Amino acid sequence: MMRKAILFFCLIGSFTASKAQQNYDASLIPKELLPYAGAVVRDNEVSIEVKDLDNAVYHVKQVITVLNKNGDNDAHIVVWHDKDRVIKNIKGVIYNQFGQQTGKFSESDFEDESAWDGFSLFLDTRIKHYLPSITEYPYTIAYEYEERSKQTLNFDEWIPNPYTGVSVEKSSFTFICKPDFNIRYKETNIPVKAIIGTNAHGLKTYSWQLNNLKAIKNEPLSPYFKSYSSSVMISPEKFVYYGISGSYTNWKDLGKWINDKLVADRKQLPFETIEHIKDITRDITDPKLKAKKIYEYMQAKTHYISIQVGIGGFQPFLASDVDHQNYGDCKALVNYTQALLKAVNIDSYYCFVKSGRNHNVSLLSDFASMNQADHIILCVPFKNDTTWADCTSQTIPFGYMGDFTDNRTVLALTPDGGKLMHTPKYTTANNLESRKANFTINEAGELSGNMATTFKGVDYEDRDYLINEPKTEQYKILQRVYPINNMDIDKLDLKQDKSFDPVTTENIKLHARDYASVDGNKLYFSLNSVDRETYIPRQVRNRLNDVYITRGSTDEDEIIYTIPAGYHLEKNPLNVTLNKPFGNFRASMVLEGNHLIYKRKFQLHDGTYNKQVYPDVVDFYQEVVDADAYNVVLVKN
Amino acid sequence: MKKTLLILIIALFTFTLASAQDFPYGNITTQEMNMKSYPNDTSAHGVVLQEFGKSSINIGSDDNIKQIYEYHVKIKIFDSKAFDKGTVKVYLYRNDKNDSYEEVSDIKGVTYYKDDNGFTQKVELEDKKVYPVKENKYWASYKFALPGLRNGCVIEYKYRVESPRWYKIRTWDLQDDIPKVYSEYEVHIPGFFNFNASIKGPLKLTKATSAIETKCFETHGASCDCSLLNYGMSNIPAFITDEYMTSPKNFLSSINFELVDWTSPYDGVKHKETKEWKDIDYLLKTDPEFGGQMKRKSLFKDKVAQLIAGKTDDVAKAKAIYQYWQKWFKWNEFIGTDSENISKAYDTHSGSIADINLSLIAALSAAGLNAEAVLISTRDNGAINTLYPVIGDFNYVVAKVNIGDQSYLLDASDPLLPFGVLPFKCLNDKGRVFSLDKPSHFIDMSLPQKEKTTYMLDLTLQDDGKLKGKLTKYSFGYEAYKKRVAIKKFNSIDEYVESVNAKLPKLKILNSEIRNIDSLDMPVAEEYQVEFDAYNKLNDKVMFNPYFWNRTVTNPFKLAERSYPVDWGMPSEDRLAITVHLPAQYVVETPPQAVAISLPNGGGRYITDYQVGDNSFTFTYLTQFTKSIYGAEEYPYLKEFYNKIIQSQKQEMNIKKK
Repeated sequence: MMRKAILFFCLIGSFTASKAQQNYDASLIPKELLPYAGAVVRDNEVSIEVKDLDNAVYHVKQVITVLNKNGDNDAHIVVWHDKDRVIKNIKGVIYNQFGQQTGKFSESDFEDESAWDGFSLFLDTRIKHYLPSITEYPYTIAYEYEERSKQTLNFDEWIPNPYTGVSVEKSSFTFICKPDFNIRYKETNIPVKAIIGTNAHGLKTYSWQLNNLKAIKNEPLSPYFKSYSSSVMISPEKFVYYGISGSYTNWKDLGKWINDKLVADRKQLPFETIEHIKDITRDITDPKLKAKKIYEYMQAKTHYISIQVGIGGFQPFLASDVDHQNYGDCKALVNYTQALLKAVNIDSYYCFVKSGRNHNVSLLSDFASMNQADHIILCVPFKNDTTWADCTSQTIPFGYMGDFTDNRTVLALTPDGGKLMHTPKYTTANNLESRKANFTINEAGELSGNMATTFKGVDYEDRDYLINEPKTEQYKILQRVYPINNMDIDKLDLKQDKSFDPVTTENIKLHARDYASVDGNKLYFSLNSVDRETYIPRQVRNRLNDVYITRGSTDEDEIIYTIPAGYHLEKNPLNVTLNKPFGNFRASMVLEGNHLIYKRKFQLHDGTYNKQVYPDVVDFYQEVVDADAYNVVLVKN
Repeated sequence: MKKTLLILIIALFTFTLASAQDFPYGNITTQEMNMKSYPNDTSAHGVVLQEFGKSSINIGSDDNIKQIYEYHVKIKIFDSKAFDKGTVKVYLYRNDKNDSYEEVSDIKGVTYYKDDNGFTQKVELEDKKVYPVKENKYWASYKFALPGLRNGCVIEYKYRVESPRWYKIRTWDLQDDIPKVYSEYEVHIPGFFNFNASIKGPLKLTKATSAIETKCFETHGASCDCSLLNYGMSNIPAFITDEYMTSPKNFLSSINFELVDWTSPYDGVKHKETKEWKDIDYLLKTDPEFGGQMKRKSLFKDKVAQLIAGKTDDVAKAKAIYQYWQKWFKWNEFIGTDSENISKAYDTHSGSIADINLSLIAALSAAGLNAEAVLISTRDNGAINTLYPVIGDFNYVVAKVNIGDQSYLLDASDPLLPFGVLPFKCLNDKGRVFSLDKPSHFIDMSLPQKEKTTYMLDLTLQDDGKLKGKLTKYSFGYEAYKKRVAIKKFNSIDEYVESVNAKLPKLKILNSEIRNIDSLDMPVAEEYQVEFDAYNKLNDKVMFNPYFWNRTVTNPFKLAERSYPVDWGMPSEDRLAITVHLPAQYVVETPPQAVAISLPNGGGRYITDYQVGDNSFTFTYLTQFTKSIYGAEEYPYLKEFYNKIIQSQKQEMNIKKK
C-alpha cells in the first residue's frame, strides 16, 4: 500500500513537471556558469512587435536564479515608464532551490516611484519596482510584463549579459514587424547571426539567441563595456516620435530630421539680447575671439540645471526661455549659445556626443541611431580651425574639451544634415603636470621651501574645484592633496590662464615640522613627498579583456633638497628606469654636496594593448609605487 | 494686582504686533544689491539676508485642524558656488492611510539682478516652471529653480504648506552651510494645545519673546487664546563639517517642538501627550504599533518551543532564537520604531527594523526570557534631547535580553551580526529601555564592543631575497563583522582569497585557510602561506622596515584645529607581531628603536617591542584607542599621536652579513 502511494505521488510529480514549461531546479545550472556569478539568468525572452508606426509592443520574460545575497539586486525588478510608455500585465512566480513554486506576485506588489538620474531637478520618467524577500538561497523568480510604446524611433537594445556577476543560460530576442517596415540592425559580438523569417500571421521576424554566457568579472583598465559584450541594436527606416514622423537610413538623414523637427526653430532671441551681443563684440574683428567673448557672456549669465520634460528629452528649451531664466540643460545651453553666435553671423553646430571620462566612445560610423549619445556640445567651424565647447560649465575656457568629450566621433547637425566629426585628442605630451620644488630640511627634521606646478591639457582642470574657494578652504584641501604630514602653507598663488591653450599654475610656500624623522645620527625622510603614486591595478587571473589606457599623460617632478651639512647616504641611491610600450618611468637621485637632487618622470601612453601585457602593467605600477615610496636614510659623517 | 497684569499683557501684545512681522515681499535695497561680500564671513559664497518662518495651528480650508507653515527667505548670492540655493525642493508628506497629505500653495519667487547698465531688474518665477512630483508612496514634492541667477543677484521666495499633522510643529534650522544675517521663527499655538520648545546647538538666540493673542482660534463654537512665540537670531555663522563626526544635527542650532498635551476643541476632552517618561511609558505600552506588538508572544509560542527544545541555558536559548530570526527575515531597508503587524511581517519574511526587532522581543518573551525594547537614535539622526522626553527623537529600535546579571543588545536585521553586537549606526548617545512591566530608563549606547585586529607574521629570509612563511590575521569583535561582510561580497572563499592576492602583486599566496566565517561569536582567522618579493637579490647589507606590512604613512588629521569631537563609535586595537628568521650568516646590525607613546588620561597608546631570538628577531607593536569619542580639546593630542607613529615607522633596520 505504502509503495503504491509513493508511486502515485511520483506520477503527480512528473505530471506537474511536464506541465510546467521548465524545470528551474538550481542544481541544473551548468557548472561553468557558477564562477563569479551571484545570479544566473535561466531564460530571458524579449520580443518587440511593431504594430504600427506609433505602436510598438514589448513582451519581456525573465527567469533568474539568485545564488547568494550578492545576486539579490539582480532579482530586483525595475521597469521605467512615462506617458508614452505604459506597462501592462506585470506578474511573476517564485521558486525555491528545487524549482518548486513557493509564491507569486503581481502589479499590486510593485512600488511606483519618480525616477531620478542623480542630477536632474525634474524628470518625467517613473519606475515601477519590486524586490521579493527571500532568505533562502538559491531561489528563482520568473516574471513577465508587456510594454506599449507610442514611438518607433528608439527600440531598446538587446544586451543579453549587461551586468557583472551574472551568467546567462539562455537569452533570446525577436523583432516582429510588417513586411514593409524596414529596419537596419547592428550585431556586436554575436557569434550566431540573425534568423530572418515570417511568422504565422505573415509578419517579418528577426531573431537572435545566445546560450551559456559566463559571468563577467570586473577587470581594471578594460575597454568600453560594449566593445566586448554582445548586443543587437535596431533602427527603423520610417518612424513616429511624439506624433512627429520621419525616416532615415544614415547619419545625414537622421541629423537632418533632428535639426528640422526638434532644434532648428528654437533659436529666436529678444531684440535687446541680439543688440547687446552685437554691442559687446563690436570692437572684436577675429571671429574666434568674438565667439570666445559670446561664450564667456553665456557662461557668466547661465548655469546648468537639468529639467527633462516633453519630447523625450531630445528637444532643447527655447533660446528665449534660457535668455529669461538663465538656466538650462546641455541641449538648451548649446542651442542658446548658437542663437547668440548667430546674432553676429557666426555659424555653429549642435553636436551629439557620448560623454564620459573613462572611455572615449565614438558614435558608430556604420550605424545611425538615436540612442548612442547622451550629451550635447557645441562646434564652431572657423576656417581651418574647428573649435569645440561644452556649454554646461561656468568656468572652463572657450575651446577646452577636457576629458569628458575629447577624442571621439560625434554627430554634428550641419545645414546639409547630420555629419560625423571627431573631437580633438589630448596627447601624452599635452596632459602635463610639471613641478619644481626647492626644499630645505634642517637638523630637527623640518621641511621648508617653495613648490611650483603647472597643469596643462586635461590636467588643466585639476585645481578647478578649489580655484574659487577662500584661502582657508584652499589650504585645507591642499593639505589633503599633498602627502606631506604637518604641512603648513605660508603662501599660495593659484592662477588659471584661460587662453586657447589653457594652463593652471600653483605656487606654494610651505613648511612641515617633523618631515624627516631623527634617530640619533640618522635622518629618514620620504624622497617623493609631492607626487606619490599609490595605485596598483589588481592582478587578474585569466584576463579576458585587452588593456585600455584612455589617454596619455606626463608627470614631471624635480625636487632639490638642501640638507644639513656633513651627512652621507646610508643605502644605494634610487635609480629606476622603466620603458614599456604603455608607459615610461624614470626616477633618480644624486647627492652633490649638501644638495640632494631628485628627478622623476612618469608617462602613460594611450592605446589598446594585448591582454597578455596586463601582468607587465601591474609590475610597472608596483615598481613605480615602490620607487615613489623610497625612504632616504642620511647618516652623519 | 489684576489690573497691572492686564496692562502688562496688553503692552506685550502690542509690542509683539509691532515687531513680529514677516518682512515685506518684493522689497530690495540698494545696499543689498551692492553688497560684494559678507563682512562677517568674507569667504561665504552667499548669505541669507532675511529668513522668516511662521507655524500656526489653525482651521484649514476643509474645516479640519491644520498646521499652517509659511516660509520666506531672501538670499544674496555672491558667486556661482551658491547657485544651488536657487534650486528649491519643498517636500510634502503624504499619508496613504487616510489619504490626507500636506498641500503647498502660494509659491512665489523672484530674482533681482543688476543689468549691464547698472539698473536693478527683476525676473519672476513662472507658475508653470514649478514641477510637482509624486516621489513615492510617502512623499511628494514641488521643485523649482529661480530664474535669472547670476553672480551678485538676490533671490527671494516664499511658500505656504498646510499640513494635517498639526501635532508636529516644524523644526526650525537656524544654521545652514552659508551664514545668515537674520533668521526668525514665529509660532502661534492655541491654548487648546500645549507644546514644549527647546533650542539645540551652541548659538544663542538674540530674540525670544512670548505674548498672548486673544481669541485667535475658533472652531464650532469653541475658542481660545494663543501663545505667540518669536525666536530670532542675528549673525549666524555658516556650519562647517569635520571628518569623523556624528550627525551635523547634533551641532546645528535649531528650535524644536514636542506636543505635551491638548484639549479637543470639539468635546473638551484632554489628551495627554509627552510630558514625563511615565506618560510615554504608558503611551508606548498601549500603542498598538509598539507595546501592542511586543506583547504578542503567543504568536511564536510553537516556533520558539521548537527552537529551544532541549536547551537549558538561557543564553543558548536566546542565541537560538536570535540566530533563527536573523536568517528568517530580510530587512526591507526601512527603519523606524513602529510595526503595524509583526505577524504579517513574519509571514512574508520581510520587515522593517521595528517589525524584525519587536517580533524578536515577542519571541524571546515567548521563551520565558526577560526581553525589553531599546529605542535608539541612529548616528545620522543625531543625539536625543535629554532635558525632557522627546519620543520623536528616536528612529530605531533593538531588543535587549537580560540573562542573570548580563544583558545583550540584539538587532536581527543583519544576518552577520554576532549575538550582542549592534551595527555601527546604532552606537550613538543614549538609548531608552522600555519593558511592558517596568518604568523606562536610559542606557549608554557606547557599548563594550570593540574593533580589534591582530597580525602575526612568521617569515624566513631566503638566500634568493624572498621572505617566505605564514601570515595570520585575526579579526575580533566588530572588525570580525566587517571582515565577514567583506568576505560575503564574494561568491566563494576562493574568489575572496583571489581578490586579497590580486591587490598585492609582490605577494604570492601559496595556501590559505579561513576559519569561523559562520561562527559569528568567534574571531575570523585568515591564515596564508605566503612568499613575499622583498629583495631582488640578497646583498651583503640590506635594510628592512619592520612596518612593511600595514605601515601608517599619512596622518588622518590634517587640520590645525577642530570644532567638534572625533567620534569613532567604539574603541579599537591593532596588534602586529613579526618574526623574521635570518639566513645563518646574517645578523641584525641596528635594531629598531623602542617606542612608547600614549594619549592623555589613558586615551590610547602605541608601544613597540623588539626581541632577539636564535638567529631571528621578533618585533611587535600595538596601537590602542580606548575611547569611542575624543573631544575637540583632545584633537591636538590625537594629531600628534599619529605624527609620532608615522615618524617612528619611517625608521629602518640594518641587516648585514657577518
